[in-house]
Amino acid sequence: MAKADFELPNIENGVRVPAIKPGAMAHVKYHPASEAHLSKTGFPANRVDNWKEVALAKMNELMGKYKSLQLFLDVCVKCGACADKCHYFLGTGDPNNMPVARQELMRKVYRKNFTVGGALFGGLARAEDLTEEVLQEWMTYFHQCSQCRRCSVFCPFGIDTAEISMAAREIMDSIGAGQKYTLEIIAKVHDTGNNLGIPKNALIGTLEFLEEDVKEATGVDVKFPLDQKGAEVMLIVPSADFFSSPHVDSLVGYAKVFHAAGISYTFSSHASEFANFGMFIGSYDNTKKIATRIADAGRDLGVKRIVVGECGHAYRVAYSFWNTLAGPFDFLDKNYPVPTHICEFTEELIRRNALTLDKSANDEFTVTYHDSCNVARGSRMGTEPGGQFEIPRNILKAVCNKYVEMDPESNREKTFCCGGGGGLLSDELLEVRVKGAAPKAAALKEVMDNQGVNTMAMICAICKAQFTKVLPYYDIPMEAVAGVHQLVSNAIQLGGK
Amino acid sequence: MATIQIAGKNIEVDEDGYLVNLEDWSEEVANSLAASEQVEMSPNHWEVVNFLREYYQEYKIAPMIRILTKEIGKKLGKDKGNTKYLYELYPGGPAKQACKIAGLPKPTGCV
Amino acid sequence: MSGLSPLSLVYAVLSYAVTAVFFGGLLHKLWGYAVTPNPLNIATTPAPATRGGVIVSNIVNIATFSSLFKGNRWTWIGGYAFHVILLAVFARHLRLFLHPVPPLLVLIQPVALLGALLLPLPLIYLLARRKAVDRYAWISSPADYFVLVLLLLIGLSGLGLKFVSHSDMVGIKQFLLGLVMASPVDMPPHPAFIIHFTLVLMLAAYFPFSKLMHAGGVFFSPTRTMVDDPRERRHVNPWAAK
Repeated sequence: MAKADFELPNIENGVRVPAIKPGAMAHVKYHPASEAHLSKTGFPANRVDNWKEVALAKMNELMGKYKSLQLFLDVCVKCGACADKCHYFLGTGDPNNMPVARQELMRKVYRKNFTVGGALFGGLARAEDLTEEVLQEWMTYFHQCSQCRRCSVFCPFGIDTAEISMAAREIMDSIGAGQKYTLEIIAKVHDTGNNLGIPKNALIGTLEFLEEDVKEATGVDVKFPLDQKGAEVMLIVPSADFFSSPHVDSLVGYAKVFHAAGISYTFSSHASEFANFGMFIGSYDNTKKIATRIADAGRDLGVKRIVVGECGHAYRVAYSFWNTLAGPFDFLDKNYPVPTHICEFTEELIRRNALTLDKSANDEFTVTYHDSCNVARGSRMGTEPGGQFEIPRNILKAVCNKYVEMDPESNREKTFCCGGGGGLLSDELLEVRVKGAAPKAAALKEVMDNQGVNTMAMICAICKAQFTKVLPYYDIPMEAVAGVHQLVSNAIQLGGK
Repeated sequence: MATIQIAGKNIEVDEDGYLVNLEDWSEEVANSLAASEQVEMSPNHWEVVNFLREYYQEYKIAPMIRILTKEIGKKLGKDKGNTKYLYELYPGGPAKQACKIAGLPKPTGCV
Repeated sequence: MSGLSPLSLVYAVLSYAVTAVFFGGLLHKLWGYAVTPNPLNIATTPAPATRGGVIVSNIVNIATFSSLFKGNRWTWIGGYAFHVILLAVFARHLRLFLHPVPPLLVLIQPVALLGALLLPLPLIYLLARRKAVDRYAWISSPADYFVLVLLLLIGLSGLGLKFVSHSDMVGIKQFLLGLVMASPVDMPPHPAFIIHFTLVLMLAAYFPFSKLMHAGGVFFSPTRTMVDDPRERRHVNPWAAK
């Protein structure tokens, strides 16, 4: 069990709504971005001198560009329906982690500078100027929001705190006060095509290694092709799949599915990253640039379809935003959705009986499924609303004999985020991450204790990295974390050996 | 940028304690970084660090964990060629903690 | 407006000023919501994949507060009761502005009167709620209490008008109709009515500058009003020139 130098929430019998503890998480600060990363991503390299004026001007600009921001700053009635819905509030008790209070950090500045009441009545209207102190609150608490959208489900008006935290980050970046973790990664993807900064020759080496490794294990020549012009499919995966465990096991799973289906595919060295951290910082330009890179790669390779791997926020960007940002994708075959999620791809093959699956290969696992927040509330799979819940489950039920559901109050549309999304997957934010994972850990623990679950499958690179790191704090082994296509990989029969 | 002092030399490190300049690395530096991570360097620990450095010199990136585990399995025996053993050596994670001690930059992304 | 008593003159001017502020402010705000673009499709999913489906789901949510129900049953009970009663009371007041009174309005008077009697209850409940739960106490500002207290005073003064002081309803109706027809007549110099009417004018003037804008804003919320069809139909960002 990993040891924490802070107090852990109790997850036995579910996570209770805590009493508020003002300032409980005020001490957590992110590492500031360097000059190089800020410049590379299009922001001032250092805090600008007249930062307050610049920030307010940016806020005004964003309110004119985003209906969501303008409306959400006005219409909250502070009913508090969202107050106990955020995993960071449930895990920390810090009242600024209640979605409504997090929004208030921006709303109080809005009132002071953009409303009559705030200008006239000041403190009585809870209006406040954007002081250094308020900016510090922004830096802290807008980086304790994983933009998971859970609050928006329960809000009478659909107010999505993610929209506010994205705007806040865009404002902070625009005055040169950005976060290192996200901006360093965005700078890398602009430079090298992926978040890890894997150069092309290393990517080639990695893919060759995987071909040998799979050949050794199965006796079958499963290909991991790179930059193969004229392939049917371009497969875009989070670069963590080329690096981490258990991520790589799903990568092997995708490759096996393509092999078994007999459909040619290729990775791209130009766009070797599915993740798009531009969304986390609310930067339209950076999000667009990263998305466009992928569209360009597909066009250059002359593929007919784009299939995307297991990555939650990236699937939201791809599903909801790609068409706007980098479309129209008229060079692709119109018979397939753009993009096609690997789960849609695999499930369709399963329904057609095109895959030979041996469920007993997963008999050592009793599996449950974690709905990743961005997939659950920011995308769809298939043609029916809610397909994003059913399709991955259909796959799991086809490849495992023992499948168990977690409490639907913590999953599906109401799923709790892993606690590491939204650009929070950074070590200096570990305390936030561990505490924010408590509600999901509690739901998992419940099915582990009562139904013998030992594996939680998921389709998100951040979830995988976050859970392997933080579940041990709750006495849950990191081996419990698996990718959906990792289990597909175990069960799929390739006819070799 | 912060600096740490090792053997009378000032060495620049980033916010997380990773070396800023790779050429500042030496075995002495590695031992000192390991001590700050509460890792006691055994010969098996060095195998990991040495492989990471070799791989980095060739590819300018840390290897995929699976490549590392396979390599360690070859060198130290099959029973040790797995992630679990790497976590035994480096409880802070083979990617992050071992890279730090090997003087490599911190891996970024969803890792 | 000559021939009006000084008090009536003041109130006639105030009424027109408040009406202008209310509608001007409201339209200004709603116009802002309407014309500000949605650069990206941010429907909170699962959401209907058709425009018709979205309209139905919004009607259901607005008519039943279904998402609040999902969020918190206790808040839903108070909030929903308050809004339904408010609607009934509002409908009841329409008779004072219309001549002749439509039969439907006549028909609902008894139910609406019951509503008026009950109005203070959910308001007191909603006030108590803000004090009783630490989370709500933390987020509640003077503005949040102000609106509830103002509504409560309006309700109580209205009941006072009806049951305690037995005011001159015919005179009140003539005064209000006079305002509507732009030919003001004298206001009945009745203290209960003046208090009630003044409070209502305050509420109307405050409306466009406050969270009360949720009443119009709810129709524009992009997470709820956008159709979940970004793959099928390319959503074009109006401000992306390229």
